[in-house]
Amino acid sequence: MHLSYSAIPLEVLRSTVRNSTVKKTHSCVELNAGLYIPQTSLSRPPWPELPVLDREEEQKQHRAVVQKVNALIENGEYGRLFAVVHFASRQWKVTNEDLILIENHIEAQCGDRIIMEKVLLVGGEDFTLIGKPLVSCDLVRVEATVIEKTESWPMVHMRFRKRHRFQRKRIIVQPQTVLRINSIEVSPGLI
Amino acid sequence: MVFLTLPCWIRSRGPDRYWKVQELLKNARHFRGRKNRCYKLAVRTVCRAFVYATKARKVKRRSMRTLWISRIAAASREHGLKYPALIHNLVKSSVQLNRRILSDLAITEPRTFQALATLARARQQEGLRAALGDGTEPTAPEQPNPRTLLQLQQNQDLQPEMY
Repeated sequence: MHLSYSAIPLEVLRSTVRNSTVKKTHSCVELNAGLYIPQTSLSRPPWPELPVLDREEEQKQHRAVVQKVNALIENGEYGRLFAVVHFASRQWKVTNEDLILIENHIEAQCGDRIIMEKVLLVGGEDFTLIGKPLVSCDLVRVEATVIEKTESWPMVHMRFRKRHRFQRKRIIVQPQTVLRINSIEVSPGLI
Repeated sequence: MVFLTLPCWIRSRGPDRYWKVQELLKNARHFRGRKNRCYKLAVRTVCRAFVYATKARKVKRRSMRTLWISRIAAASREHGLKYPALIHNLVKSSVQLNRRILSDLAITEPRTFQALATLARARQQEGLRAALGDGTEPTAPEQPNPRTLLQLQQNQDLQPEMY
């Protein structure tokens, strides 16, 4: 027969755990209401006790936070912003006047201005906007310029197998692009 | 072919041996001992160095990822969450930040990381609440009677198939 928490009815457990006030004396423990259940490995369920949830209060708090952040953005009370941008199959944490080195070729000429649309997260000192998974284009705008298009230093790809006279040497040169992040702008459009 | 005198046997063995040797030795100049000067010793060591570099470029990606994971685990434990809980709940909340960015945020943007940790904890508690449900004991679902299933099947066979 397997032990289960049905041995102690759940309503009793809940009432004792929530309503009880325990005086921490060594020998005798008094409770306001309900049974006394000594603490053992099976006296309470193995999942953690969750805090009481009030949906309306939670929604009120959420709305207050959103209004606060909206007010901050409208009044422009933020300093330097940073953004997490998905570009060239990589994620970059980026601020203004940043240089990014990308290890591949981009279809844009030197001096072209680029807008990075896939923004995952924007943040300042007092607030962050976390995208699920992306922050919408109406809220953020990240602009960059292509500065340089070069090649990497010549990397050596060498294969060698001992005792078999097998040796191959190949020189790999990757194309690189350098971008400068010009600006990150946020607009107050949160609901 | 008629070689009548000795000087006619002299041929050029290749004019650029010196430069080929120097090209290899330049990769060995930072080594210790005779292998940074002597060609015969340098050849073997330079080959091994190139092979180690090639393999290390692949291993670097793995080791960087383990480093990021350990950093994120440490930062999330500061906020009372474990690494698997954080990652799983962020994925369930459809936040697609990768481990490199999470470790960078944990280092340079502690408030943002705290916000992510609270988001993950809220999602975790929501999941626990959904799993617990009302707190009533779960009842077994009604097993379909095999006799009724057979009858339904027979009825379906008897009905004319409309096309």
